[in-house]
Amino acid sequence: MIQSKPDLFEDSAVRLDGVGLRYDSNEDVLSGIDLTLAPGSFTFLTGPSGAGKTSLLKLLYLAQPPTQGEVSLFGRRTSSLNRRELSALRRRIGVVFQEFRLLEHLTAYENAALPLRVAGRTEADYRPDVEELLRWVGLGPRMDARPQQLSGGEQQRVAIARALVNKPSLLIADEPTGNVDPEMGERLLRLFIELNRRLKTTVLIATHDLSLIRTLNAPVLRLQHGLLVRDVEFGPEGVVA
Amino acid sequence: MRSSPTPLLPQGDAREAALFFVVCALCFLAALAAVTARSSYDAARGWTAQVEGEMTVRLRGADRRAADEARDVISTAPGVISARVLTSDEVIELLEPSFGSGGLPAGLPLPLILAVEAEPDRESLAPDLQRRLTEIGIDSVVEAHEDWAGDVDRALSIVRIVALSTVLLLVATAVAVIAFATHAALLARKDIVDVLHLSGATDRFISRLFERRFWVLGLQAGSVGALFALAASALAMSLASGQSGRDGLLPRLSLDVMDLLILIATPVAAAIAARLAARTTVMRALKGSI
Repeated sequence: MIQSKPDLFEDSAVRLDGVGLRYDSNEDVLSGIDLTLAPGSFTFLTGPSGAGKTSLLKLLYLAQPPTQGEVSLFGRRTSSLNRRELSALRRRIGVVFQEFRLLEHLTAYENAALPLRVAGRTEADYRPDVEELLRWVGLGPRMDARPQQLSGGEQQRVAIARALVNKPSLLIADEPTGNVDPEMGERLLRLFIELNRRLKTTVLIATHDLSLIRTLNAPVLRLQHGLLVRDVEFGPEGVVA
Repeated sequence: MRSSPTPLLPQGDAREAALFFVVCALCFLAALAAVTARSSYDAARGWTAQVEGEMTVRLRGADRRAADEARDVISTAPGVISARVLTSDEVIELLEPSFGSGGLPAGLPLPLILAVEAEPDRESLAPDLQRRLTEIGIDSVVEAHEDWAGDVDRALSIVRIVALSTVLLLVATAVAVIAFATHAALLARKDIVDVLHLSGATDRFISRLFERRFWVLGLQAGSVGALFALAASALAMSLASGQSGRDGLLPRLSLDVMDLLILIATPVAAAIAARLAARTTVMRALKGSI
């Protein structure tokens, strides 16, 4: 029984026990998901469109609770947390949304700095970090532009900067390289790897991009019709291990 | 140096302009009701305090000698401070509202009237004075001013209750309107609220954004409403008391420090009400969100 398990799972950054999700249509979007991501791991999530990747990510970044099972993050059962504790947990998660979700009235700089502002840090304190990060993702000259003045790729890089700016313990990215050219895609991936290796950030990237997956010898989770059907790994040559 | 950060909630749109107008109008009406009620009540209180303890004794079929006798009897009655027989000029002045300023008809006998000043806190002395005059054979009518001052007092109490109810109703309306507007703003900004939540913002953090917005709106709309109320009050009082150029039957209305305090308090009260309404609405609505 899930309820009888201890409340803390210090050995996992993410743990899903029998997780299911059903929307109003009464059709299971996710079903019986058991998953553990170790702290500091780097994992890809793949699967066809409509397989439930985005729904699974929503559960992980606490955008909605599961209709079945238990989601635990950093050793804490999320179902037992109050709203304040959930907010504190969200501050440890960086999310790159597929549709970016930038605030249209804020500049690229202000969008990237949003998590730090929410965390109560002063601008004088965070400005150098935000500017450096934006320069790193190639947006140095575009810091004062608003989202509607940026291309899709630029918006995606702002969204990535926003997800990384507070050095999260867990980074969740939904198709993070979908709108950038291969060179920038590789550069962003290097950034994720660096974050993973230097800060021991747990990284979960949902993607269709096989070339991106082949770049790394990292575990790959595959979702199909709401079920986690395979846990495969690509070897150094990009062959399924 | 960068300028101050952009507010996390975008600047207001046409709906906020409409809300500003509504809150402004409600504040105007509330301030006007409060100032009018307080000012009328205060003026009437002063006036009734002045007439309390005053009595008029009209002597019927008496001559000057009887009038002096009546004055002596009244002066010695307990609770009476003074009594005197009014002069002819004073009687004519009293009758002027009935007969006009053209003078009295020739040959019309003037009534003999005594003005009596009694201790204000005493029970009505009229029956006692009436009895004393009857005992010495003087036919008289004793009119205690406090009788009709009491009627004015009761009418003013009703006015005060109506005005207070009006103010409370207007405040409740303002709170309801702001709660409705906050809810609408929350729905309109759901995308922003969701991103803030997912970035780790607490409900209080998000609530404070709306509270600040509506606090400022309440303060600004309340100030404009109070200024209009001040102008309207000054105009109304000027029209009410300035036309004849003399004191009439009713007390003279005026704006004083208390009225100005009401006008200063209006925007503050509006801002506090707006902030509380916004806070309650947002906190309640967010409980059902992510």
